[in-house]
Amino acid sequence: MQYELRHQVIPAKRQTYQNVIDRLGDQPVSRYLEGTLDVQPRENFHYRPTWMSNRELYDERFSALRLTDSYRFTDPRQYYYTTYVAARAGLHDDFTKTLGYLEERDLLARIPAGWQAVLSSVVVPLRHYESGAQLVSVAGARFAYGTSVEQCCSFAAFDRIGNAQMLSRVGIALGGGTRDRLEAAKRMWVDGAHLQPLRRLVEEIMVLDDWAVSLLAIDLVDSLVYPLVYRGLDEHALLGGAVAYSLVAQHFSAWFEDQRKWIDALVATWATDPEAGLANREVLGHVLETWAGRAYAAVAALAAAVDSHLPGAETGTELAATAESRRSPWASLIGGAAS
Amino acid sequence: MSIESPRAAAWKKLPLKERYALLTRDLDWEPSYIDREQLYPFTRYEGIKVHDWDGWQDPFRLTVDAYCKYQAEKDRRLYAVLDGFAQGQGHLTLSDASYLNSIKLFIQGVTPLEYAAHRHFAFLARHLEGPGPRFAALCQSIDELRHTQTQIHTISNYNKYYSGFHSWSKMHDRVWYLAIPKSFFDDAMSAGPFEFLIAISFSFEYLLTNLLFVPFMSGASFNGDTPTMSFGFSAQSDESRHMTLGLEAIKFLLEQDEDNVPIIQDWVDKWFWRAYRLSGLVAAMMDYMLPKPVMSWKEAFELYFEDQMLGGLFPDLDFYGIRPPRHVDDAIAEKEHLSHQVYKILHNFSSVAAFTTKTPDHVHLDWLSEQYPGTFDIYYRPTWEKHQRIEAGGGRMFVRGLPQQCQVCQLAISFTEQDDRRKISFRRSEFRGETFHTCSDGCKWIFDREPEKYVQAWLPVHQILKGDCGGPAIPDVLAWYGIQTGDNGEYNGSPDEQFWRAWHDPSLRHGE
Repeated sequence: MQYELRHQVIPAKRQTYQNVIDRLGDQPVSRYLEGTLDVQPRENFHYRPTWMSNRELYDERFSALRLTDSYRFTDPRQYYYTTYVAARAGLHDDFTKTLGYLEERDLLARIPAGWQAVLSSVVVPLRHYESGAQLVSVAGARFAYGTSVEQCCSFAAFDRIGNAQMLSRVGIALGGGTRDRLEAAKRMWVDGAHLQPLRRLVEEIMVLDDWAVSLLAIDLVDSLVYPLVYRGLDEHALLGGAVAYSLVAQHFSAWFEDQRKWIDALVATWATDPEAGLANREVLGHVLETWAGRAYAAVAALAAAVDSHLPGAETGTELAATAESRRSPWASLIGGAAS
Repeated sequence: MSIESPRAAAWKKLPLKERYALLTRDLDWEPSYIDREQLYPFTRYEGIKVHDWDGWQDPFRLTVDAYCKYQAEKDRRLYAVLDGFAQGQGHLTLSDASYLNSIKLFIQGVTPLEYAAHRHFAFLARHLEGPGPRFAALCQSIDELRHTQTQIHTISNYNKYYSGFHSWSKMHDRVWYLAIPKSFFDDAMSAGPFEFLIAISFSFEYLLTNLLFVPFMSGASFNGDTPTMSFGFSAQSDESRHMTLGLEAIKFLLEQDEDNVPIIQDWVDKWFWRAYRLSGLVAAMMDYMLPKPVMSWKEAFELYFEDQMLGGLFPDLDFYGIRPPRHVDDAIAEKEHLSHQVYKILHNFSSVAAFTTKTPDHVHLDWLSEQYPGTFDIYYRPTWEKHQRIEAGGGRMFVRGLPQQCQVCQLAISFTEQDDRRKISFRRSEFRGETFHTCSDGCKWIFDREPEKYVQAWLPVHQILKGDCGGPAIPDVLAWYGIQTGDNGEYNGSPDEQFWRAWHDPSLRHGE
């Protein structure tokens, strides 16, 4: 049984904004689409930037990777500001609960010595890696063409700071509530031999003048670091008496799965663009050729450090397998351009 | 697993400030494999000297987890208001449909500025050398995305039932009066990172926010626009972070080196006048477009600018050697004229705009006479009464020609001289053998400082005359602007007005 509520019905003149109607017809659309499509200005810019006078304020030429229409790409996660912060509030809430649990029982301090060493010398220093990845992502937030693309970069930039802060909190907890482990981690990031290939690589990627190439180069590193450090080590942790690390690592793996969704979709959109696809595939092939090997070498140094503290973990072997499996999705997208 | 031993006795708790620094600025490192100048290439060419980026005092301490939690909660509440308003046909309870003209101006003119701020604070988040200010800029960047999108979503419901909202993004790029806000922000974005910081964080967000942004929110609350008002309240805590960032930015730069003082003084001078001229549109909105006005422009200017800024802020800045903005006296002298002169332009040219205008009725004119006792009856009331007489005879005056625009602020040149309020103020500058026109001493000073920049301006009137705006005739231009039937012209008799009356006429109740 339903009751009948009478109310004034007013016919709508239109269901959404005209630019959305032009693309999708006059129908109700999601808040993601209304808040994303065609938001970035396109034309009639008044002045050239004093910081780069051969470009417009928004300019496709900030990258060699182009889309005929930026809005061929939409975020598979459909994140606009509100859904994004709601999702991340959940992630950080879960992480805080985990960390609270670990702190309450002093579980991080009690993990075996080898694991202590891995956390201090490999995992916690990666907060600086996240910080570098943040600079790369935020360049996309400014220089990407089209709201759908830059919005993902903006959220990724904020995510990377969030990740760096989560790692820092692990470091603080590991140091019994002090800054000691963070200081040690920073010294290692700056001086430790096992971290220098990665730091050099990040620094070189940060100064590339193509935001998208930087983003992809970092993604090639991510694609090795995340499976190695968070997912791969997670399994060893469960077997090796370091359940505390497993509890921490799950949150980073969850984030990386989320991150993959939009990056993979964006790479696929670039590769299959009806007009720019061919040129894009060449650029993508070049990115792979230039950066995949360097990423592998940098992360292999991390794997060796892990293996030195955890004999039998054989992360180096796992890394090789991961690298192989990461090549194939790219190769299938970029076809003949892959080396 | 043993659980009997809770947290070790040796557990320390870091002081909040130290913890925050560890979670933000300590993430940075000094590059070894590349040059610092390669990493931050844009921090030197403006002449600003920063000796110690660590001297930056974080104006607020918000970590990513706290930020997400707090903002998600605010948005949950805001969207609940939007949904409830939409479901209950809340738009019918507005003071009047003509109120929505101010919101048309808002989504066409202000929302795109929020978006521009979002994009360019990302530039600061990439290119400032200090990790403290970079993180503050990153937070502001995504806040501004929030404002853009919540505004789009707030106004989406009005767009379904009323004219003029549908093509705000394209219009911002093309329509003549929107070149005023667009050129303002383009000017800031095309400047270097430090000038942008002073232009937007200080001048726009701090010095003049109560005259540029807040009046729309107050207008909403007086006119029954609960969604926009709720957005305004919801943005308040973001805005107060942005304001403290603006104040910290200027103090930080002034403290870093004495040589920074004259550079920043120049920017304060420029951006005060630039923002003040932009506020002309808001002044017109406040005095003429709100069926239930909040306060007059003059009163707002006296309270928010003369009392709070000239009386409160600038005595503090005097300590650093910063004096009140150049040309501030011209703005004060103009406070009884600005809104009337700008609304006159909007009223005369609304035939080619994406909002409608109307001649104020007698009650409204009496209110204006009261608010502007020394000037309104002498200079402005007679013109409005003439409009009333024409309209009583079935006419409506629109100006058919195209006005001369100011090369800097892009308003039509129609302000008057201080010593003769009936004489149009016109200034001329020569650059590379050409003559350029500006509307005031303030705009001329800005032009003469950087003529190579302002000659690049995309002046809508010039573009129309060149035939670059859809074609030579007005209907071509309107089509190119994306203006649809009923968006423009006179409010009385417009579709918005007719529908509004029908919806409120019990004998014509739709589909009940």
